[in-house]
Amino acid sequence: MSDHITQWLGAYLDGELRGSRIRQVESHLSDCQKCQLELDELRGLSALLHETQPPDGFLPRERFVANLTLNLPRQNGTAKTPGPIELGWWLVPIVLIVIWIFVQLSAYISAALLTAFNLGLLGNGLSWLWGDSARQSLWFAWLINLVGEPAGSLALLNTIDLFLRDFFGHYFWQAVLGLVYLAWLMRAWQKQTTNSGNFSRA
Amino acid sequence: MPTPPAQAEAALIEKAQHGDRNAYGELVHQHHQGVINVVYRMCGDAQLAEDAAQDAFIQAWLHLSKFQPGTSLRNWLYRIAVNAALDSLRRASKTTFDEFENLFLTDPQAGPESALLQKEHRLAVQQAISSLPEASRAVLVLREYGGLSYQEIATALDIPLGTVMSRLNYARGKLKQTLTHELMDAEQAYV
Repeated sequence: MSDHITQWLGAYLDGELRGSRIRQVESHLSDCQKCQLELDELRGLSALLHETQPPDGFLPRERFVANLTLNLPRQNGTAKTPGPIELGWWLVPIVLIVIWIFVQLSAYISAALLTAFNLGLLGNGLSWLWGDSARQSLWFAWLINLVGEPAGSLALLNTIDLFLRDFFGHYFWQAVLGLVYLAWLMRAWQKQTTNSGNFSRA
Repeated sequence: MPTPPAQAEAALIEKAQHGDRNAYGELVHQHHQGVINVVYRMCGDAQLAEDAAQDAFIQAWLHLSKFQPGTSLRNWLYRIAVNAALDSLRRASKTTFDEFENLFLTDPQAGPESALLQKEHRLAVQQAISSLPEASRAVLVLREYGGLSYQEIATALDIPLGTVMSRLNYARGKLKQTLTHELMDAEQAYV
């Protein structure tokens, strides 16, 4: 008796075999007494399983249905259309991406304009961006007065200014957007896990 | 093309998905016996099985909005029923066989030996099924008592087709082994 045939006997009995596999099993069965016996035992087992009915003592069907329908809780959600909150939820990543594109574009345009200005391509066209020179002088004078030694203070202020510009311009926004996006992904995953009603453990 | 009963069921499902309790009651009525069969074979105890069936139908009601129209409600219910039965068993922390204890007490018509022998067979069969590992038991119950095809079992339990076959072979082999001894002993006791 071949193990392979034994392996297929249950499926043969259940009518789950197709094509050449059936012919293979039937051909083997015609020659193999042991496998025929095995098949008969499987048939006997199936009959035994079916001849034993569940015991009495269950609630009658009508009463079971009546009790159940009376005690049904509120359903978790409706079937189809997502509400405005659901739509808003899916808009979050789109809004984040738009903000990120805006920040990046602003940085690139600023850099391009500054380069063009430094090369003298724009003439005096951007002077309005520099603000009021009299107010700027007063501001620096006040700062120098406050901190003390002018050259060292200016160097320090310059360093801090550069650091803050780099930090906010390049890292801070991207880090915040990244964190918000990660938080959204986690929440979306959690929501999906809760809603799927995980029924596939067995 | 869906058959008329399938269309009627689809209409009931749609109503129930929109909160119609009467429509859901109709669906429960149609699938009650099948679900009871499955959970009883999984639990091996009538009381646990009835609780599990109720849990299964309530879970199905709560998640009905997730049911995909066009797929089999019966298979979906059986999957929920199998898991509800396993949860019931875990809550009970052990498989109880009260019927063994009540064998001579609860049935006043158990006089004839054949009736008693039949009851003994039933309990031996149920005990053998309950002694199977959960994974194999679920596959066997869905095949033998739920009447699902291998493919439907694979879909319901989210396992490969080959695993369905191997678990079924294992379960049948184990049952043959157990029941051969138990049933021979039981028959000899009444000869």
